[in-house]
Amino acid sequence: MVICVLYPRFELVAALGDRGTLLAAPAALAPEAGREQLAGEVSAAAEAFGVVRGMRLGEALSRCPELRLVPPDPQGVRELWGTILDRLEAIGAAVESDRAGVAFLDADGLQGLYGGDVQGVLAAARRALGRGVRLGAAPSRFAAHAAALRARPRRTGAIVVDEREVRRFLAPLPVALLRSRPELQSLPEILDQLGVRTLGELAGLPSRAVAERFGHPGLLALDLAGGRDTPLDPRRPPEPVMEKLELPEAASGQQLERALELLVARLLARRERRGRSLRAVAMSARFVAGGTWRATVTLRRPSADAGGINLVLKSRVTQLPAPADSLALEVEAFGPPGHVQEALVEERGEVRRARLGEAVRQARQAAGAEAAMRVLEMDPESRIPERRAVLSPFLGDDG
Amino acid sequence: MSRRLAAPRPAKVRQGPDGVPSALQDEPVEGIREEWAVEDRWWTGRPLRRRYFELVLAGGRNAVVFRDLVRGGWFEQRS
Repeated sequence: MVICVLYPRFELVAALGDRGTLLAAPAALAPEAGREQLAGEVSAAAEAFGVVRGMRLGEALSRCPELRLVPPDPQGVRELWGTILDRLEAIGAAVESDRAGVAFLDADGLQGLYGGDVQGVLAAARRALGRGVRLGAAPSRFAAHAAALRARPRRTGAIVVDEREVRRFLAPLPVALLRSRPELQSLPEILDQLGVRTLGELAGLPSRAVAERFGHPGLLALDLAGGRDTPLDPRRPPEPVMEKLELPEAASGQQLERALELLVARLLARRERRGRSLRAVAMSARFVAGGTWRATVTLRRPSADAGGINLVLKSRVTQLPAPADSLALEVEAFGPPGHVQEALVEERGEVRRARLGEAVRQARQAAGAEAAMRVLEMDPESRIPERRAVLSPFLGDDG
Repeated sequence: MSRRLAAPRPAKVRQGPDGVPSALQDEPVEGIREEWAVEDRWWTGRPLRRRYFELVLAGGRNAVVFRDLVRGGWFEQRS
């Protein structure tokens, strides 16, 4: 059985913090700085005005002039959601979560620990998470999500759908539920236009016809409507390696660059790194005026060279849309050890060849196969000059 | 994807009655530093016979030209 842990409007609730009472009023998450001007998660009161997530801000404000726009807090959301996932993992669960507010775990391996049935695992999850969470359990991820959507947080009971009931449970539900899968975003609208309004109606269609009309997404939707789904892909618990700097005054420009250099140096000095290079790092900032910003940077080559990392990150930190009062750097993924020590490697020739190979690869990407050639001596002593040497493709690391 | 280096390029050469270049691309020849002949592949159907001159031009540039003694014509070549 798959258990779904659901917190509706998680990003909005996290961004509101202790101003939770605003949830009763029409409110929506403002777009992140530099992103498209679309409304984020919206409160129930805003939904009553016809405002939905993803709507253009102009349209949302014309539908609901008193709509309160809440500055997004991606860093806060990440921290809060990380705490919730940690709590779930503390009961022994392997947790899958692609977005904040929704997580899935497989109950089968935990039943022996918590009374031998799924109810025991649900009770353990509720004890770990406290009030406000919606829980659903079903044989598949999609059905468990549908069950959690129907559960009510104020009631302690979760909705459990067993193997024999799953098709009957899903049948009356609207096809719009398929939007929970990113690859099926546009499918419900087309199905609706064709008169297929419920998952039961979809499940009743012949698979050959669905495959012909919709291809792979159609077959996936058919599987979901029939109570089948792909296996869970649990996350690997992260190793939190983070450095944060409180900035004494609203910093921007060069001050931020200096702060960044300091953070990189600190991060590289952390013992948890154990000689490994950095593959991806996340930069985050808290703005003086409220709200946070977060950007993940994946390095082209794993590195622990402070100069190189600074160079990459500086270009991003200059994109900060407002003065910040704190800046943080967190390791998202470590790379293999060793790449960091290029300057110390004894075999300089080897290092130079590797660099040259990479440069050649990039030059060819930009300017075609003849961008990098080498002179190959054929008959250097020949009396006929054109027989002495030819230009041939440079054979670097990429062959 | 490979090509020869120093491939001969047709050149506009003015020559004197003795067959020695007096101007290259309309630039007068100041002096001739060296002269030599190359004969090769005489045992094939495409023999190669060239008369080479290393020139010093009026502008100070050095250039190597040859006359193709089989097919005719002047060529400049980076030696």
